[in-house]
Amino acid sequence: MNAITIYVPIDSAARSVGADDVAEVIQTEAAKRGIEIKLVRNGTRGMLWLEPLVEVATPAGRIAYGPVTVNDVAGLFKADFLKGSPHHLSRGLTDQIPWLKSQERLTFARLGITDPLNPDDYVAHGGLAGLIKALPLSPAAIVAEVAESGLRGRGGAGFPAGIKWKTVHDAVADEKFVCCNADEGDSGTFADRMVMEDDPFMLIEGMTIAAIATGATQGYIYVRSEYPQAKLHLEKAIAIALDHKWLGDNILGSGHRFHLDVRVGAGAYVCGEETAMLESLEGKRGIVRDKPPIPALVGLWGKPTLVNNVLTLASVPVILAKGAAFYKNYGVGKSLGTQAFQLAGNIKQGGLVEKSFGVSLDELINGYGGGTHTGRPIRAVQVGGPLGSYVPAHQLTIAADYETLTSIGAIMGHGGIVVFDDTVDMARQAHFAMEFCAEESCGKCTPCRIGSTRGVEVMNHIIAGTKVPENLKLLDELCEIMATGSLCAMGGLTPLPVRSAMTHFPEDFHKHPPATQRVA
Amino acid sequence: MPKLTIDGREIEVEAGTTIIQAAELLGIEIPRFCYHERLAIAGNCRMCLVEVEKMPKPVASCAMPINEGMVVKTNTPTVKNARQGVMEFLLLNHPLDCPICDQGGECDLQDQAMAYGKDHSRCDEQKRAVDKKNFGPLIETAMTRCIQCTRCVRFANEIAGAPELGALGRGEHMEITTYLNQALDSELSGNLIDLCPVGALTNKPASFTYRSWELKSTESVDAMDALGSAIRIDTRGNQVIRILPRVNDDVNEEWLSDRSRFACDGLSLQRLDKPYVRRDGKLAATTWSDALSVLAAKVKSSMTGRMAFIAGDHSDAETLVAAKDLAAAMGTTHLDCRQDGAALEAGLRASYLFNSTIAGIEHADALLIVGSNPRIEAAVFNARVRKRWLTGKLKVAVIGPKVDLTYKYEWLGDNPSILADIAAGTHPFAATLKAAANPALILGQGAVARTDGSAVLGLARKVADTTGMVKDGWNGFNVLHTAASRVGALDLGFVPGTGGKNVAEIVAAAGKGELDVLFLLGADEIDISGLGSTFVVYIGSHGDFGAHRADVVLPGAAYTEKNATFVNTEGRVQRTRLATFPPGEAKEDWKVVAAVAEALGKALPYTTLSQVRERLSAVNPVFAQIDMVAPASWGTFGQDGSVLPQPLTSTIKTFYAVDPISRSSKTMAQCQAAFGEDQCQRKTGTHG
Repeated sequence: MNAITIYVPIDSAARSVGADDVAEVIQTEAAKRGIEIKLVRNGTRGMLWLEPLVEVATPAGRIAYGPVTVNDVAGLFKADFLKGSPHHLSRGLTDQIPWLKSQERLTFARLGITDPLNPDDYVAHGGLAGLIKALPLSPAAIVAEVAESGLRGRGGAGFPAGIKWKTVHDAVADEKFVCCNADEGDSGTFADRMVMEDDPFMLIEGMTIAAIATGATQGYIYVRSEYPQAKLHLEKAIAIALDHKWLGDNILGSGHRFHLDVRVGAGAYVCGEETAMLESLEGKRGIVRDKPPIPALVGLWGKPTLVNNVLTLASVPVILAKGAAFYKNYGVGKSLGTQAFQLAGNIKQGGLVEKSFGVSLDELINGYGGGTHTGRPIRAVQVGGPLGSYVPAHQLTIAADYETLTSIGAIMGHGGIVVFDDTVDMARQAHFAMEFCAEESCGKCTPCRIGSTRGVEVMNHIIAGTKVPENLKLLDELCEIMATGSLCAMGGLTPLPVRSAMTHFPEDFHKHPPATQRVA
Repeated sequence: MPKLTIDGREIEVEAGTTIIQAAELLGIEIPRFCYHERLAIAGNCRMCLVEVEKMPKPVASCAMPINEGMVVKTNTPTVKNARQGVMEFLLLNHPLDCPICDQGGECDLQDQAMAYGKDHSRCDEQKRAVDKKNFGPLIETAMTRCIQCTRCVRFANEIAGAPELGALGRGEHMEITTYLNQALDSELSGNLIDLCPVGALTNKPASFTYRSWELKSTESVDAMDALGSAIRIDTRGNQVIRILPRVNDDVNEEWLSDRSRFACDGLSLQRLDKPYVRRDGKLAATTWSDALSVLAAKVKSSMTGRMAFIAGDHSDAETLVAAKDLAAAMGTTHLDCRQDGAALEAGLRASYLFNSTIAGIEHADALLIVGSNPRIEAAVFNARVRKRWLTGKLKVAVIGPKVDLTYKYEWLGDNPSILADIAAGTHPFAATLKAAANPALILGQGAVARTDGSAVLGLARKVADTTGMVKDGWNGFNVLHTAASRVGALDLGFVPGTGGKNVAEIVAAAGKGELDVLFLLGADEIDISGLGSTFVVYIGSHGDFGAHRADVVLPGAAYTEKNATFVNTEGRVQRTRLATFPPGEAKEDWKVVAAVAEALGKALPYTTLSQVRERLSAVNPVFAQIDMVAPASWGTFGQDGSVLPQPLTSTIKTFYAVDPISRSSKTMAQCQAAFGEDQCQRKTGTHG
C-alpha cells in the first residue's frame, strides 16, 4: 500500500493554533499503528476558522478535517480518516467547501494546495507560466500587458501599476531596483504574509517579471520583523530559485539578470510607507521622504525604483500567464481583477477571501464571515487597516471597490476588514486611532507628530466628559490640519477613522458623564 | 521656460524651480521653517503650504517643482487655515519663554506667530520637554524649543561634512542630538545658530549678554583668515558682542568659520590701549609723545640701512603702504610681509593668487591639493570644495598631510617630488588632471614656506603648465593664503628691495646685532626670541609675543576698529568698516605709522584716509577696483631645483589659535581644550 499523503499547514496562523503539535501527533499515531503516511506541510487554505485544517489525499480528492486538535487525532485514526471516512470534524472535499469554492482565487490559486518550498509542486500547479510567457516579450510589451490588465497597487493607494512600471521603464539610469513592500503592518491583514509563507515562488516570479519589464537587476523584499517565518521561507525559496535559474545572472537562459535579497525591518509601521521603506533599506532612520521626486525616478540610493506591495507583484504572474483580458474580466469599473479581502476581528469565519472587486461588504462579512464571533449584531466595520474609516452596519450593502468605498468616505487600503459587534465603544476606537498614530508617527512633519499626540489628549478629555462640545470642535479642527497638512498618508489618514466614528456614532462621544457628576 | 501663475500674477521661471522660489521672485512671501535655499529640501515643517489648482490637498511649496500652467494660490482661506493650524501645533510644544530666549527679537517662529498665531492656547496639557544637549563650547542648546525642522542636521551632514548630528526617537519623542552627546567637531558649527529658526541653538559665549535689538550692526569683512568673508559686526557701545556672516556668493555664500565668528571676545582682551616704553627692562605705560620721542632718539642714533620692517598677518593695505613709504624714506630695503617665510614673489600676480576664484572651484573637475589642510586654513572654502565634490564631478588628490577633509580624496603621499612626477607626466594623477576640463591645484603655504619653497613653487607652476590648468577663461593655479594681509602686501611689493633682507635674514641679522631698529607691524609669528638686542618697535592691537619683546609699543586697531583695505586670497580688494573705536589711546595703524614718520622727520605726504587710498591705487591700480577680481596674467615663476624629501604639511597647527586675536580669546581657548591639540591631525578614517 502506498503511503497516504496527509497535509497539515505550516502557515503561522495554523501553527499559532497548534498545527505543529497536530502534525507531530499524527506522525506518532501513524507510527504507533504501523501505518505509513506521507506528511506534507502545505500552506494554509485561508480558512483560518478551520485551522488547524488537516487534509487527506484520497482518490476522490483531498478531504478536509478541521479544526483538529491534538486530542482529536486518535479519534480521526479510529474513524479511518485516512480513507476520507466521515468524522464530526470532516468538512468533505476541500475544494467543495462552499466558503472556498465560491471564491475567485486567481492570485491565491495555489494557496494551501502546495508545499510552499517545493519547486516541482509550484510548476505542477501553474507556477512559472507567467515568467515563461514574459521572457520572449519586450520589456515595453510586459509593461503594456500589466497596464492593460488594470492592476492597481494593492498596498492601499490603488495607483495604477502600469503607469508606475512605465515610469521606471522609461527612466534612464545605470541601475534600477525593484522593491517589494512586505511591511504588512495594518491591523487585521495577513494576505502578504500568506503569499510569502505559503507561495513564496509566486512573489519571486512576479518580482522577476517586474525586473525584466523595468530594467532592474536587483530586488529587495522588505519584510517586517514580526514575520520570521516569511523571511525564512523567502530566503529558502530564493536559494531554490537561484538553483533552478529562476533568478540569477541568466534567468532560464534568457540572458536576463536579476538578484533578490530579503531585508528585515525594525518594527516601525511607517516603514510601510514607500519612501520610509527606502530610507530603511538604505540603512537610515525610517523617515518619510518628501515627494516629488517620486521613487520611480529617484528611489533606492537615488536610482529609479519600482516599489510595489506583495499582492501587486503576486498578481503579476497570473496576469502574464492568462493575459490582461482574462484578468480584467474580473472586477468592476476602474477596480479590475480580484482583491484579497482579509476577514478579522469579531468574526465567526475569519480568513482570506479572494473575490472580484465589487462584492458587497455584506456578502464578505455575513456571507463568508458568518457574522460576529460573539453572535451579537455588527455595529461597525473598519475597512483598510488602522487608518481606514469605520463603516456603520447600515452601509454594509455597498460594493467593495475603490470608487464606491471612496464615495462613502472609506478606503480599500490593503483589503483588511475588522468587525466589531454592538458592545464596541467608538469613542475609544477613535482614541485608539490617534494613539496608534502618536505611537507610529515618524516625527518628521509637524501635523502628524504633534497632532496625533494632542489628539490623544483631546480624546481623553472627551471620554472623561470634559468640555465635550469644545473638545469635539477642537478634535475636528485638529483632524483637518492633520488631513490637509501631513507629509504622508500616515498623518493624512489618521483623521479618517476618528472622523468616521464621530460622524456615524456621535452618541458614543457624549455618553460619558462630566467628571464632576461622576464623582458625585 | 515654464510659466505659472501665483496669486493671479504670471511668471516665467527656469524648469526645476520650486513654487517657493518662484513666489520669492514675485515678491510673494511664503512662511517657512525647515526650508533653506542652501540645504536639501526636507518638507517637514508644513508651514509653506499653498494651494495648487487640480491638486486635492495643499502642497508644500518648498518641495513642489513648478509645471507649465500651474495655478498657485498662497492667500486662500484654506492656506491660511493650514498655516494657522501648523503654527498652533508648533506653539503647543514650544515654550513661550521668549523673554529669556536669546533668539527673542530675531526668531522666525516669533515673527510667524505674529502673522499666524493665536493669543491663547486651546490645550492645557504639559508641553513637551527635552533634555538639553551638549554641542560643545560654542553652541548653547535648549532643545525644548526645537521644532524639529532638521536644518541643523542637514547643514552638518551636507555642508559641514560632520555627520555627527541626527535625530533619535520617533513621533513626539524625536530629538535632535549629537552622536553620543559629544560636542560637534566642526569648524563651521556656528552656522547652526544662524540656521536654527528658533532659540534651540544659540550663541553660547554670548549667552544672556544681549537682546538683539540693542545691537548696532556694521557690515564689514573678516580678517581671521585670507578668504575675506562678508561679516556683520554686532556691537553694543564699544564692545563687539557677536559676528555673523553676510551673504557673499563669491566668497563665503552665507557661512562663517568658527574662528571668524567666535574669536571676537579676543577683541577686548589683552588689548594694547596705550603706548608703552621699556624702562629698566619693564614695559611702562606712557604717552604717545614720550613713546615717539624715545623711538625717534633711538632711530636717530642708528645707521642707515640698519632698520627693518616685518608686516603681520592682520596688516591692512593702508598701513603697509605707509610703512613701505616710511622704509623708503629711511633708506632701508629690509622689509617683508612673509612671516612664515613663504617663497612667494611680489610682481607677477598670478603667481600668488587663488586664480580660479573661490566660487570658480565649483567648475573644477580635478583638484590637486599640495601642502595644505584647507579644512583648518580656510574652513568656509573647504565647504565649497565639499559642495563640488558632493556633485560627483570633482576628483581630489592630496600631496601633504593625510587628514579628514570631509570629502574623499586620493592621497598621493607627502613628498614634494611627487609634483615633479606629475609635471613630467609619469604619475597617474597627471592623466586625471589632463583629462579634466577644468583642472585645478591648491598650493598651501605649507608647500612654499620651506627652504625649498621656491623650487616647490616652480614645480607647481610646471604642473599647471603641463596639465592644461591655464587656458582661456580658466586658471586653476591657486595659492591658498592663510593671512588676511598677505596678498595686499604682495600687491604693494612689501618684500625686500634691492639688497634687502627677508624675514629669516632680518631675524638672523637682529640676532647677530646687525640691526638697530626692527618695526613689527602686528608681526607675532616670527622667532621673537631670536631678535637679540635689537630695538623692537611693536605696532599692533594685542599684547602678544611681539609686544612682550618690544622696546616701544604703539597701540593699533583691530580689523573691527578701522576702515581698512584687505585683499583676499583671490586678489579681491575689500574694505572693512569701523564697528567700534580702538580702545583707549589706540589709533588706526596707518596713522600710527604716519605719526612715527613725522616723529622721525620724514612726514608722509598724506594725512587723510582718502589720500592714503589714492596712494594705494598709485602703487598698484588693483586697489582702485573694490570688490572685484581681475584675471591675472600668467608667466614663469618659481625656481628650478631639487626639492627636499621633508613631508609637506600645513602651516597651521591649531585652528583655534593662529593670531593675536584668537590667542587672546577665551572662547577659542575653550574650543582648544574641548577639541584637543590634535584636532588638525584628524585622521581620514577609512579613506585616503
